[in-house]
Amino acid sequence: MPIVLYRVDERLVHGQVVIGWGSQLHPDRYVVVDDDLSQSQWEQDLYRLGAGGAEVVFSGCTEARGRLAEWRDAPQRTILLTRDVATMSRLAEGGALNGESIVLGGVHPAPGRREALTYVHLTEKEMADLAVIAAAGADVFGGDLPDSQRVDLDHLRRRWNSSN
Amino acid sequence: MSNGLPRAAVVSAFLRSFLIQGSWNYRSMLGGGFAFAMLPTLRRLFTEQPARQAALARHLELFNAHPYMSNMALGAAVKLEAEGADADTVRRFKLAVRGPLGSLGDGLVWATWLPGVSLLALTLYWMGAPGWVAAATFLVVYNVGHVGLRLWAFRVGLAHGREVGGRLAKADLAGWTERLQGVASMLLGGLVGAVLLGGDGLRAAGPVWVGVAAAAGAAGLLVGHRSWRPAAVTVVAAVVGLSALGWLS
Repeated sequence: MPIVLYRVDERLVHGQVVIGWGSQLHPDRYVVVDDDLSQSQWEQDLYRLGAGGAEVVFSGCTEARGRLAEWRDAPQRTILLTRDVATMSRLAEGGALNGESIVLGGVHPAPGRREALTYVHLTEKEMADLAVIAAAGADVFGGDLPDSQRVDLDHLRRRWNSSN
Repeated sequence: MSNGLPRAAVVSAFLRSFLIQGSWNYRSMLGGGFAFAMLPTLRRLFTEQPARQAALARHLELFNAHPYMSNMALGAAVKLEAEGADADTVRRFKLAVRGPLGSLGDGLVWATWLPGVSLLALTLYWMGAPGWVAAATFLVVYNVGHVGLRLWAFRVGLAHGREVGGRLAKADLAGWTERLQGVASMLLGGLVGAVLLGGDGLRAAGPVWVGVAAAAGAAGLLVGHRSWRPAAVTVVAAVVGLSALGWLS
């Protein structure tokens, strides 16, 4: 079973992912790719509480790149989450995510970030990274919930360019 | 003293938690209320203005969870700040804990405790208890659970700090939610029965409404345990309420 969703969302395993996306995609497993979290047991304990009984695997980015094929070939339906664009970008290096769909979810305001969507704020570096991922063959778009309107990267960039 | 803080500061944080939704907004959600509840603690821990302002600013950031369960994050944040945890640890803790506290609290309180206690009060009323008894029962029982949950969550947070995950898993709130939903489903069946049999109830409204109520009761028995939703309870409560007012009879 392929990985059914790749998502960038600062909140990682939380209601919008578990209830919103999970109720449609029925994942057996969430894979959280994050170098810091993969080393932090107390944070892992907290995130696992929100997974609604599904398995939660925490992995550093380098390890995750080595296990992508394993997760894609496994019988479990998997949702892969990163908390930032930088991690997804590292994961995608060398065309590792070509042909996959990557959804931008909650990326909140921070210094240096501009609004692309009400729930997606990006720095110039993050916008450039997304363009590289898309140019390499991945389908990158904004979408908070599965039933909400898909916002293509080009449209998202125009909105980002015009925001203050 | 608690965690090196005067008891008054800890009690003040708990009391202020009742106002945690007071400045709710789409940008920071509970952030303003959380910072307000943290203020007595931060005043005692940070005597220099720049440090105090920096601490206050990090608690003003976006935070969202169920308002009662957010007390667990509040208690833990008080402990972390009192122990001198670095700002990044406090921020990462609040980021990680808000999801579980939101989903567990929503399921336990909004989807179970509130409609369940409402059903209890309505059932009492339809069994013949005076209206004030039903209203007082609702207010007392609901708030025993409400305040008890706030207090328990705050104490767990204060005792365990960032390690609340293990304690929260052991508490099995999802299991309690399921058990309470079973009780609430039983109350829903009892309420339908009381409405059907009550002299001033649907029986007086005529056979059509009796048929509708019987069908609703049968559907509840067959699939109610699988489709328990606050919206369904609201509809039943509205029908019963309207009937009680004589609008359907």
